Amino acid sequence: MVRRMIADRDPSDSTDFGFREVPRAAKAGLVRQVFESVAPRYDLMNDLMSLGLHRLWKRAFVAAIGASPRETLLDLAGGTGDIAFAALEGGAGRVILSDVNPAMLAVAQNRALDRGLAAGLSFLCADAERLPLPDRSVEKVSIAFGLRNCTDKDAVLAEARRVLRPGGRFHCLEFSRLEVAPLVPLYDLWSFRVLPALGARVAGDRGAYEYLAESIRTFPDQETLAAMMRRAGLERVAWRNLSGGIVAIHTGWRL
Amino acid sequence: MSDEARKPKDAPQGGAVDPRLLEILVCPVTKGPLRYDRERGELISERAGLAYPIRDGIPIMLPEEARKLD
Repeated sequence: MVRRMIADRDPSDSTDFGFREVPRAAKAGLVRQVFESVAPRYDLMNDLMSLGLHRLWKRAFVAAIGASPRETLLDLAGGTGDIAFAALEGGAGRVILSDVNPAMLAVAQNRALDRGLAAGLSFLCADAERLPLPDRSVEKVSIAFGLRNCTDKDAVLAEARRVLRPGGRFHCLEFSRLEVAPLVPLYDLWSFRVLPALGARVAGDRGAYEYLAESIRTFPDQETLAAMMRRAGLERVAWRNLSGGIVAIHTGWRL
Repeated sequence: MSDEARKPKDAPQGGAVDPRLLEILVCPVTKGPLRYDRERGELISERAGLAYPIRDGIPIMLPEEARKLD
Protein backbone atom coordinates (compact mmCIF):
# COMPACT_ATOMS: atom_id res chain seq x y z
CA MET A 1 0.00 0.00 0.00
CA VAL A 2 1.25 3.42 -0.81
CA ARG A 3 2.11 5.23 2.38
CA ARG A 4 2.80 8.52 0.71
CA MET A 5 2.59 11.38 3.18
CA ILE A 6 -0.03 13.99 2.55
CA ALA A 7 1.85 17.23 2.27
CA ASP A 8 0.10 20.29 3.68
CA ARG A 9 2.43 22.69 1.96
CA ASP A 10 2.43 23.73 -1.66
CA PRO A 11 2.96 20.52 -3.63
CA SER A 12 5.30 22.33 -6.01
CA ASP A 13 7.80 22.60 -3.14
CA SER A 14 8.11 18.84 -2.81
CA THR A 15 8.68 15.84 -5.02
CA ASP A 16 8.72 12.07 -4.79
CA PHE A 17 11.67 10.17 -3.37
CA GLY A 18 10.40 6.63 -3.42
CA PHE A 19 7.23 6.79 -1.32
CA ARG A 20 8.46 9.75 0.64
CA GLU A 21 7.78 13.37 -0.18
CA VAL A 22 10.98 15.36 0.02
CA PRO A 23 11.76 19.00 -0.70
CA ARG A 24 12.46 19.39 -4.43
CA ALA A 25 15.90 20.77 -3.69
CA ALA A 26 16.80 17.63 -1.73
CA LYS A 27 15.95 14.95 -4.27
CA ALA A 28 19.02 15.28 -6.49
CA GLY A 29 21.34 14.90 -3.50
CA LEU A 30 19.43 11.89 -2.18
CA VAL A 31 19.46 10.21 -5.60
CA ARG A 32 23.17 10.93 -5.90
CA GLN A 33 23.79 9.17 -2.58
CA VAL A 34 21.80 6.16 -3.77
CA PHE A 35 23.81 5.80 -6.97
CA GLU A 36 27.18 6.51 -5.35
CA SER A 37 26.36 3.72 -2.96
CA VAL A 38 25.20 1.22 -5.57
CA ALA A 39 27.61 2.07 -8.45
CA PRO A 40 30.21 -0.67 -7.86
CA ARG A 41 27.58 -3.44 -7.76
CA TYR A 42 24.96 -1.83 -9.97
CA ASP A 43 25.27 -4.27 -12.86
CA LEU A 44 25.21 -7.34 -10.64
CA MET A 45 22.20 -5.96 -8.77
CA ASN A 46 20.31 -5.29 -11.98
CA ASP A 47 20.70 -8.93 -12.90
CA LEU A 48 19.50 -10.11 -9.51
CA MET A 49 16.66 -7.60 -9.22
CA SER A 50 15.21 -8.33 -12.62
CA LEU A 51 16.21 -12.01 -12.81
CA GLY A 52 18.23 -11.08 -15.87
CA LEU A 53 15.24 -9.60 -17.66
CA HIS A 54 16.84 -6.15 -17.82
CA ARG A 55 19.20 -7.50 -20.48
CA LEU A 56 16.26 -8.44 -22.71
CA TRP A 57 14.52 -5.13 -22.06
CA LYS A 58 17.65 -3.18 -22.93
CA ARG A 59 18.22 -5.23 -26.07
CA ALA A 60 14.66 -4.48 -27.23
CA PHE A 61 15.20 -0.82 -26.34
CA VAL A 62 18.44 -0.48 -28.32
CA ALA A 63 16.78 -2.16 -31.30
CA ALA A 64 13.91 0.33 -31.02
CA ILE A 65 16.35 3.25 -30.98
CA GLY A 66 17.98 1.86 -34.11
CA ALA A 67 20.68 4.56 -34.33
CA SER A 68 22.41 4.44 -37.72
CA PRO A 69 26.07 5.15 -38.61
CA ARG A 70 25.08 8.67 -39.66
CA GLU A 71 23.36 9.47 -36.37
CA THR A 72 24.38 10.73 -32.95
CA LEU A 73 22.66 9.26 -29.91
CA LEU A 74 22.57 11.15 -26.63
CA ASP A 75 22.00 8.59 -23.89
CA LEU A 76 20.78 10.35 -20.74
CA ALA A 77 21.19 8.83 -17.29
CA GLY A 78 23.46 6.47 -19.20
CA GLY A 79 24.92 5.06 -16.00
CA THR A 80 27.37 2.25 -16.48
CA GLY A 81 26.92 2.22 -20.25
CA ASP A 82 24.62 -0.68 -21.16
CA ILE A 83 22.59 1.31 -23.69
CA ALA A 84 25.48 3.37 -25.07
CA PHE A 85 27.69 0.34 -25.66
CA ALA A 86 24.97 -1.76 -27.26
CA ALA A 87 23.99 1.16 -29.52
CA LEU A 88 27.61 1.62 -30.65
CA GLU A 89 28.05 -2.09 -31.23
CA GLY A 90 24.75 -2.02 -33.10
CA GLY A 91 26.05 0.54 -35.57
CA ALA A 92 25.35 4.00 -34.09
CA GLY A 93 27.73 6.55 -35.57
CA ARG A 94 28.32 8.39 -32.36
CA VAL A 95 27.11 8.08 -28.77
CA ILE A 96 27.31 10.65 -26.00
CA LEU A 97 26.97 8.82 -22.70
CA SER A 98 25.66 11.34 -20.19
CA ASP A 99 25.01 10.88 -16.49
CA VAL A 100 24.76 13.25 -13.55
CA ASN A 101 26.87 10.94 -11.39
CA PRO A 102 30.65 10.76 -11.92
CA ALA A 103 30.82 7.49 -9.94
CA MET A 104 28.58 5.77 -12.50
CA LEU A 105 30.57 7.29 -15.40
CA ALA A 106 33.82 6.00 -13.89
CA VAL A 107 32.39 2.47 -13.98
CA ALA A 108 31.28 3.10 -17.58
CA GLN A 109 34.79 4.27 -18.60
CA ASN A 110 36.33 1.08 -17.24
CA ARG A 111 33.74 -1.11 -18.92
CA ALA A 112 34.30 0.69 -22.25
CA LEU A 113 38.03 -0.03 -21.97
CA ASP A 114 37.34 -3.68 -21.22
CA ARG A 115 35.12 -3.92 -24.30
CA GLY A 116 37.57 -2.06 -26.53
CA LEU A 117 35.09 0.73 -27.20
CA ALA A 118 36.51 4.19 -27.80
CA ALA A 119 35.77 5.43 -31.31
CA GLY A 120 32.54 7.40 -31.44
CA LEU A 121 32.02 7.33 -27.68
CA SER A 122 32.06 10.44 -25.46
CA PHE A 123 31.46 10.71 -21.74
CA LEU A 124 29.60 13.68 -20.31
CA CYS A 125 28.59 14.56 -16.78
CA ALA A 126 25.41 16.59 -17.05
CA ASP A 127 22.03 17.17 -15.45
CA ALA A 128 19.31 15.97 -17.82
CA GLU A 129 17.18 18.93 -16.71
CA ARG A 130 19.84 21.38 -17.96
CA LEU A 131 21.70 19.89 -20.89
CA PRO A 132 24.96 21.48 -22.08
CA LEU A 133 24.14 20.87 -25.75
CA PRO A 134 22.85 23.28 -28.38
CA ASP A 135 19.34 23.20 -29.82
CA ARG A 136 18.86 20.66 -32.62
CA SER A 137 22.19 18.92 -32.17
CA VAL A 138 21.44 15.18 -32.07
CA GLU A 139 19.28 12.71 -34.00
CA LYS A 140 18.32 10.47 -31.08
CA VAL A 141 17.89 10.86 -27.34
CA SER A 142 17.42 7.90 -25.03
CA ILE A 143 16.90 7.45 -21.31
CA ALA A 144 16.69 3.98 -19.80
CA PHE A 145 15.68 3.53 -16.16
CA GLY A 146 16.62 7.13 -15.53
CA LEU A 147 13.61 9.38 -15.82
CA ARG A 148 12.09 8.27 -12.52
CA ASN A 149 15.21 9.44 -10.68
CA CYS A 150 14.94 12.95 -12.10
CA THR A 151 13.39 15.68 -9.97
CA ASP A 152 11.70 17.63 -12.75
CA LYS A 153 10.63 15.09 -15.37
CA ASP A 154 8.88 17.74 -17.48
CA ALA A 155 12.15 19.67 -17.70
CA VAL A 156 13.99 16.53 -18.85
CA LEU A 157 11.44 15.89 -21.59
CA ALA A 158 11.59 19.53 -22.71
CA GLU A 159 15.39 19.43 -22.84
CA ALA A 160 15.33 16.17 -24.80
CA ARG A 161 13.06 17.78 -27.36
CA ARG A 162 15.17 20.94 -27.50
CA VAL A 163 18.42 19.12 -28.37
CA LEU A 164 16.76 16.85 -30.96
CA ARG A 165 16.98 17.81 -34.60
CA PRO A 166 13.63 18.00 -36.39
CA GLY A 167 12.95 14.43 -37.47
CA GLY A 168 14.77 13.16 -34.38
CA ARG A 169 13.25 10.74 -31.93
CA PHE A 170 13.15 10.41 -28.15
CA HIS A 171 13.09 6.96 -26.50
CA CYS A 172 12.37 6.16 -22.87
CA LEU A 173 12.66 2.75 -21.21
CA GLU A 174 11.19 2.79 -17.75
CA PHE A 175 9.26 0.77 -15.23
CA SER A 176 5.57 1.15 -15.83
CA ARG A 177 2.27 -0.38 -14.71
CA LEU A 178 1.96 -4.14 -14.73
CA GLU A 179 -1.12 -4.99 -16.78
CA VAL A 180 -1.46 -8.62 -15.72
CA ALA A 181 -3.55 -8.37 -12.54
CA PRO A 182 -2.97 -11.92 -11.19
CA LEU A 183 0.77 -11.25 -11.06
CA VAL A 184 0.49 -8.07 -8.99
CA PRO A 185 0.77 -9.68 -5.51
CA LEU A 186 3.85 -11.61 -6.58
CA TYR A 187 5.38 -8.47 -8.06
CA ASP A 188 4.69 -6.59 -4.81
CA LEU A 189 6.31 -9.31 -2.75
CA TRP A 190 9.34 -9.23 -5.01
CA SER A 191 9.66 -5.45 -4.98
CA PHE A 192 9.10 -4.69 -1.34
CA ARG A 193 10.39 -7.82 0.43
CA VAL A 194 12.94 -9.56 -1.76
CA LEU A 195 14.63 -6.54 -3.37
CA PRO A 196 15.55 -4.62 -0.22
CA ALA A 197 16.85 -7.86 1.34
CA LEU A 198 18.95 -8.51 -1.77
CA GLY A 199 20.22 -4.93 -1.65
CA ALA A 200 21.22 -5.31 1.99
CA ARG A 201 23.04 -8.55 1.35
CA VAL A 202 24.70 -7.93 -2.03
CA ALA A 203 25.25 -4.19 -2.13
CA GLY A 204 25.27 -3.53 1.60
CA ASP A 205 22.61 -0.85 1.34
CA ARG A 206 19.01 -1.79 2.06
CA GLY A 207 17.82 1.82 1.98
CA ALA A 208 19.08 2.39 -1.54
CA TYR A 209 17.15 -0.60 -2.84
CA GLU A 210 14.02 0.32 -0.90
CA TYR A 211 14.22 3.65 -2.74
CA LEU A 212 14.67 1.91 -6.09
CA ALA A 213 11.67 -0.37 -5.49
CA GLU A 214 9.49 2.50 -4.31
CA SER A 215 10.54 4.84 -7.10
CA ILE A 216 9.41 2.20 -9.59
CA ARG A 217 5.89 2.33 -8.16
CA THR A 218 5.57 6.10 -7.96
CA PHE A 219 6.57 6.56 -11.60
CA PRO A 220 3.77 7.66 -13.97
CA ASP A 221 1.94 4.84 -15.75
CA GLN A 222 1.91 4.38 -19.54
CA GLU A 223 -0.83 6.92 -20.36
CA THR A 224 0.45 9.54 -17.92
CA LEU A 225 4.00 9.48 -19.28
CA ALA A 226 2.69 9.66 -22.86
CA ALA A 227 0.67 12.77 -21.90
CA MET A 228 3.76 14.35 -20.31
CA MET A 229 5.73 13.73 -23.50
CA ARG A 230 3.02 15.36 -25.61
CA ARG A 231 3.00 18.36 -23.26
CA ALA A 232 6.75 18.69 -23.80
CA GLY A 233 6.11 19.07 -27.53
CA LEU A 234 6.95 15.55 -28.67
CA GLU A 235 4.69 14.23 -31.39
CA ARG A 236 3.30 10.89 -32.53
CA VAL A 237 3.91 9.58 -29.03
CA ALA A 238 3.58 5.80 -28.72
CA TRP A 239 4.49 3.07 -26.26
CA ARG A 240 5.01 -0.65 -26.16
CA ASN A 241 4.83 -2.83 -23.05
CA LEU A 242 7.49 -5.41 -22.28
CA SER A 243 6.94 -8.29 -19.85
CA GLY A 244 3.28 -7.41 -19.35
CA GLY A 245 3.95 -3.76 -18.56
CA ILE A 246 6.60 -4.20 -15.87
CA VAL A 247 8.49 -1.89 -18.19
CA ALA A 248 7.45 0.10 -21.25
CA ILE A 249 9.24 1.74 -24.16
CA HIS A 250 7.84 5.19 -24.95
CA THR A 251 8.80 7.04 -28.11
CA GLY A 252 8.04 10.47 -29.51
CA TRP A 253 9.29 12.57 -32.40
CA ARG A 254 10.44 16.11 -32.75
CA LEU A 255 8.81 17.08 -36.02
CA MET B 1 52.18 5.78 -8.60
CA SER B 2 50.41 9.10 -8.46
CA ASP B 3 48.33 10.52 -11.29
CA GLU B 4 50.91 13.27 -11.74
CA ALA B 5 53.73 10.77 -12.29
CA ARG B 6 51.77 8.85 -14.90
CA LYS B 7 50.74 11.91 -16.87
CA PRO B 8 52.80 12.94 -19.89
CA LYS B 9 54.17 16.48 -19.56
CA ASP B 10 51.94 18.00 -22.23
CA ALA B 11 48.74 16.31 -21.11
CA PRO B 12 45.93 18.76 -20.44
CA GLN B 13 44.84 19.31 -16.86
CA GLY B 14 41.86 17.12 -15.98
CA GLY B 15 42.72 14.53 -18.63
CA ALA B 16 42.24 14.45 -22.38
CA VAL B 17 38.71 15.32 -23.47
CA ASP B 18 37.08 14.13 -26.64
CA PRO B 19 37.62 17.09 -29.03
CA ARG B 20 34.36 16.36 -30.86
CA LEU B 21 32.49 16.73 -27.58
CA LEU B 22 34.26 20.01 -26.77
CA GLU B 23 33.17 21.36 -30.14
CA ILE B 24 29.47 21.09 -29.39
CA LEU B 25 29.23 21.68 -25.63
CA VAL B 26 27.49 24.83 -24.42
CA CYS B 27 26.88 26.26 -20.96
CA PRO B 28 23.95 24.38 -19.38
CA VAL B 29 22.73 27.62 -17.75
CA THR B 30 22.96 30.15 -20.58
CA LYS B 31 23.24 27.70 -23.53
CA GLY B 32 25.98 30.10 -24.64
CA PRO B 33 29.52 29.31 -25.80
CA LEU B 34 32.32 27.90 -23.68
CA ARG B 35 36.05 28.56 -23.76
CA TYR B 36 38.40 25.63 -23.10
CA ASP B 37 41.17 26.50 -20.66
CA ARG B 38 43.60 23.66 -21.27
CA GLU B 39 46.03 24.77 -18.54
CA ARG B 40 43.43 24.58 -15.80
CA GLY B 41 41.31 21.85 -17.35
CA GLU B 42 38.19 23.97 -17.27
CA LEU B 43 35.40 25.04 -19.58
CA ILE B 44 34.66 28.71 -19.04
CA SER B 45 31.23 30.25 -19.46
CA GLU B 46 31.86 34.01 -19.34
CA ARG B 47 28.17 34.85 -19.40
CA ALA B 48 27.33 32.59 -16.46
CA GLY B 49 30.57 33.46 -14.66
CA LEU B 50 31.28 29.77 -14.16
CA ALA B 51 34.22 27.47 -14.85
CA TYR B 52 33.20 23.84 -15.31
CA PRO B 53 35.90 21.35 -14.31
CA ILE B 54 37.16 18.44 -16.38
CA ARG B 55 37.92 15.34 -14.34
CA ASP B 56 39.38 12.13 -15.76
CA GLY B 57 38.63 13.47 -19.22
CA ILE B 58 34.94 14.01 -18.43
CA PRO B 59 33.49 17.53 -18.56
CA ILE B 60 31.48 18.05 -15.36
CA MET B 61 28.75 20.35 -16.66
CA LEU B 62 26.98 20.88 -13.34
CA PRO B 63 26.61 24.50 -12.13
CA GLU B 64 26.89 23.35 -8.53
CA GLU B 65 30.29 21.78 -9.25
CA ALA B 66 31.59 24.78 -11.20
CA ARG B 67 34.04 27.38 -9.91
CA LYS B 68 32.62 30.90 -9.72
CA LEU B 69 34.63 33.41 -11.71
CA ASP B 70 35.57 36.70 -10.04
